[in-house]
Amino acid sequence: MTPLLEVRGLRKEYSSFSLGPVSFSVDAGSIMGFIGRNGAGKTTTLKSILNIVHPTGGEIRYFGMDIRGNERAVKQRVGFAGGAVDYYPRKRIADILAVTGRFYENWDEAALRKYLDAFSIDPAKTPRELSEGMKVKLNLAMALSHRAELLILDEPTSGLDPVSREELLDIFGYLRDQGAAILFSTHITSDLDKCADHITYIRQGQLISSGRLDTFLEEHRRQGTGNDLEEIMVHYEKEDFREKLAD
Amino acid sequence: MKSLLTKEMKLAASPLSYLFLAFAAMTLIPGYPILVGAFFVCLGIFQSFQACRESNDILYTVLLPMEKANAVRAKYIFVCFIELTALALAAILTAVRMTLLRDAAPYASNPMMNANLVYLGYIALIYAEFNVLFLSGFFRTAYKFAKPFVSFIIVSMLTVGVCEALHHFPGLTFLNGCERLPAQTAILLCCLAVYALATALSCRRAICRFEIIDL
Repeated sequence: MTPLLEVRGLRKEYSSFSLGPVSFSVDAGSIMGFIGRNGAGKTTTLKSILNIVHPTGGEIRYFGMDIRGNERAVKQRVGFAGGAVDYYPRKRIADILAVTGRFYENWDEAALRKYLDAFSIDPAKTPRELSEGMKVKLNLAMALSHRAELLILDEPTSGLDPVSREELLDIFGYLRDQGAAILFSTHITSDLDKCADHITYIRQGQLISSGRLDTFLEEHRRQGTGNDLEEIMVHYEKEDFREKLAD
Repeated sequence: MKSLLTKEMKLAASPLSYLFLAFAAMTLIPGYPILVGAFFVCLGIFQSFQACRESNDILYTVLLPMEKANAVRAKYIFVCFIELTALALAAILTAVRMTLLRDAAPYASNPMMNANLVYLGYIALIYAEFNVLFLSGFFRTAYKFAKPFVSFIIVSMLTVGVCEALHHFPGLTFLNGCERLPAQTAILLCCLAVYALATALSCRRAICRFEIIDL
């Protein structure tokens, strides 16, 4: 089956940072966690695959189509939510949603109302009146209302309280059951333990691993490098500051 | 494009862009460098760009299913809509000044620029400068707007000074009156052509710049 998203050899060069090559794929009905420390290159990768930043090299294919030349068609079927980024914080949510809906062929008003009700979002409010968790849910409702088959979420759980995070992970599970695929970046490994099927792990811009979460955990348990994602990440990433400061 | 224009009007635009259209009425002020009114209209448009940056408008727009070039075109169309509305208002008030108020005492003894067809041409030049310096400059980063706007302030103020001075030169007094209308019409048409050409070239340049930047 053709993956919903296929990233091959993605590279992005900056003067002080270099990303990749990064390769991974996301299948329908799965949740892919994209992990790494702050500054590892997660946002750069997500922005590159959305063509918001221009990759230096590599290939990005959605639904079997190269994003270059098919951006419009691809974005009809993909939803993106950048965590608690609030668009037009002083405009009424109802107005933002009305304008957003004009751009999508599959915009579903009934689905939108369902998500707004389920997330307890009052469309008469403005985004600045929402809590961080509600802002994430609003972005999610916008992405879901055009029946996105693939959701790309950048740090959706960062800054949320434990209850909001748990609720959000529940929503992810529900959406996966509905057949949607989710790619979300995070540095909170416990979120992935709860809901991810696959993970892609990058460190200092380099791909460490990409594949099934259970296989990844099993390999590391066998090697003695950690029993869960947090231990594995600490094993790879922890720097000895005592030694550094003593120099 | 229609949806993008709706987005520009309903979400991205600052109400000040519309309110500052009232500065077109500066056309009626006697003894004042009335061309500054065109600068204030541009200042109102600038407020929309400031609001856009604060509201993550560019990121919101590029994530929508549309070509990036259209995001730039929509901004240009919105700006031209404001500019041409202001120009139309100024044209109506200029017509009033040139006909009904032609012999009114404050205008008859006005040492500054009078409102006439040449004045309307000058307004078009100020707008052309805004589109070239500010709009195209903004799309170099789609984020930083201070430097492009400061360049526009300097150039537009110099333009106001030059235009105010021109009619004091021998042989150019007709620039400030209601006589030699065919010559004035020719100047107005030339200025409008400069506006159209400069805006089209600036838009093309802004699209190229916007296509290659990383947001």
